Amino acid sequence: MAGVIRAVFGPVGRRLTYRRWTYFVLGATLIVPFALAGFAIVPPVLGMLLPTDTAEQPLVVAVTMALAIVVWAAGTSFIPAVRVVEGTAARELLGPGVPAQASLRATNLEARWKTCQWFLVHIVVGAVVGGCTLFVPIGMLQSFLAPFTGEWLIVQNTPVRVPVGWQSAWIPAVSVVVTVLLVHLVNLAGVGMTKLSQVLLGPTPADHLAELTRRAEQLAERNRLARELHDSVGHALSVVTIQASAAGRVLDADPRFAKRALSAIEESARGALADLDHVLGLLREDQPGTQPQHTLADLEQLLETMRLSGVAVETRITGDLAGVPFAVSTEAYRIVQECLTNALKHAGRVEGAVTVTLSLAASPEALRVEAANPLTGRPPTGRGGRGIPGMRERVAVLRGQIEAGPDDGTWRVRARIPL
Amino acid sequence: MSVKVLLVDDEELIRAGLRAIIDAEPDLEVVGEADDGADVLPLVTRLAPDVVLMDVRMPAVDGIQATRHLIDRVAEPPKIIVVTTFENDDYVYDALRAGANGFLLKRARPAEIVRAVRVVVAGDSLLFPDKIRLLAGQRGLEPGRSGLREAGLTDREAEVLRLMATGLSNVEISDRLFVSVQTVKTHVGNVLSKLHARDRTQAVITAYESGFVTPS
Repeated sequence: MAGVIRAVFGPVGRRLTYRRWTYFVLGATLIVPFALAGFAIVPPVLGMLLPTDTAEQPLVVAVTMALAIVVWAAGTSFIPAVRVVEGTAARELLGPGVPAQASLRATNLEARWKTCQWFLVHIVVGAVVGGCTLFVPIGMLQSFLAPFTGEWLIVQNTPVRVPVGWQSAWIPAVSVVVTVLLVHLVNLAGVGMTKLSQVLLGPTPADHLAELTRRAEQLAERNRLARELHDSVGHALSVVTIQASAAGRVLDADPRFAKRALSAIEESARGALADLDHVLGLLREDQPGTQPQHTLADLEQLLETMRLSGVAVETRITGDLAGVPFAVSTEAYRIVQECLTNALKHAGRVEGAVTVTLSLAASPEALRVEAANPLTGRPPTGRGGRGIPGMRERVAVLRGQIEAGPDDGTWRVRARIPL
Repeated sequence: MSVKVLLVDDEELIRAGLRAIIDAEPDLEVVGEADDGADVLPLVTRLAPDVVLMDVRMPAVDGIQATRHLIDRVAEPPKIIVVTTFENDDYVYDALRAGANGFLLKRARPAEIVRAVRVVVAGDSLLFPDKIRLLAGQRGLEPGRSGLREAGLTDREAEVLRLMATGLSNVEISDRLFVSVQTVKTHVGNVLSKLHARDRTQAVITAYESGFVTPS
């Protein structure tokens, strides 16, 4: 008996049911603008395209409207942010079965198509549930008064007439049953959608591949750092330990050896600190960013974009930029980007384009980046150097220097990062 | 008659440090140095050292290859101690399998370093049994382990092998088993020849790999 009660009324008392309900009502509200557009646009367009009697047939109108709604909604679902909002809402409201991938952008065509299918299922099921939500609970409330007033399902002041008295006692009973059935329907639809989400919003093969590639890259990077620590810091500390041990043993017998050992220890320890600094710098640099990191390999593309925006760039590149380490290369790219963007802001205020002279020089010791553009006469409003503190901090991590400022009518940025 | 030691390491400062530590001992003497595994064979032939302290990673010929060369080409090869920066280095175990008699961390204390040299020269106990156990544990067992059944060890020999793996010396084993040291030596000799092992280290590694002794 208790089991039956739990089976019948369990979903009624569960919070998850109402969270799922909310998700469907959300779907219902999402279909509204498309439906309104359908009502507004479809009949006049049909009137223009078809003979009047065909254009006004209810079946033709209904089918065309449905098609229009589906097509518009499908188109909308390809907007990347729609996937994120839909997926996040599904994860929050449908329950724990929705894959984490759901709230991430679709990065491949298969994922976009599946998102589109999901969106359509959501708004259609949502429209059905939303419609029921409008009528069933209100109908149930009115049903309790129906045996007394003889009026039920009052829609726009025109009620269904029912007999007053005991003959109408079935109405509240049936209404309650229907309402409980609706709760079950919503709950089951929620379960179904959660299952469906694993198919439609989960990672696609391309996502799996991208994830694997990312992990492989991370692993390779970690191994590289481990090797670097092993080879540099581990080696140096071994030297320090053995030299110190030896010096301690022979301090009295061979003071000259002890003295040499001390300076070897000093040098090794100093080198180890520098290496540690470098590796820690790489670790900081490797913190996951929100954007893919650009390197100097993407420089040409950046320059092209800037040229199209009205910044004339004169470049002078010496040395092998491809051989510059990743951390330095990404930072150099950011510096160039920052300089060109600042120049672009100035260009907006003057007639014609602004010219930036950019020079990049890679030597075995260091990478030098220099950018100069003429000042426009107006003093910088303070926004010009917005990115400079950040650049200075990141360049310092890489043991480099950067200076930026006005220099004889020119805004000049000079950076040197050791390799 | 002091123990002759050859140092092989590509870092001069490491060699100088080890030399100072070893030469400070009256019974030990560094007779030569090499900065690559490639130079080890001619130096061993010329200087006939008792012990080689061998770095693992070297530019041309690494410590593992150099160890193999010595075992294969020298009639009575010297004892070889592999010297390494990190104990969880994969190469250490490879070097032990290649025939090195033990290994030593570069961060070892001077007393440990000289003890290691003396232990491998005496050859009657295992160097750092716990670390060999750890390394064997990380590697897992050889597939198709047989627990050394085909080796045909007697019960006594099997017992001696188990005690060898814990790092006990011949004298300690004789105390444990209430037999003479000479008897223990005979058992150890039989174990080595039945397992085709060069020394205790090889025998113990074989015991771990075959599942005869479990590392955990």
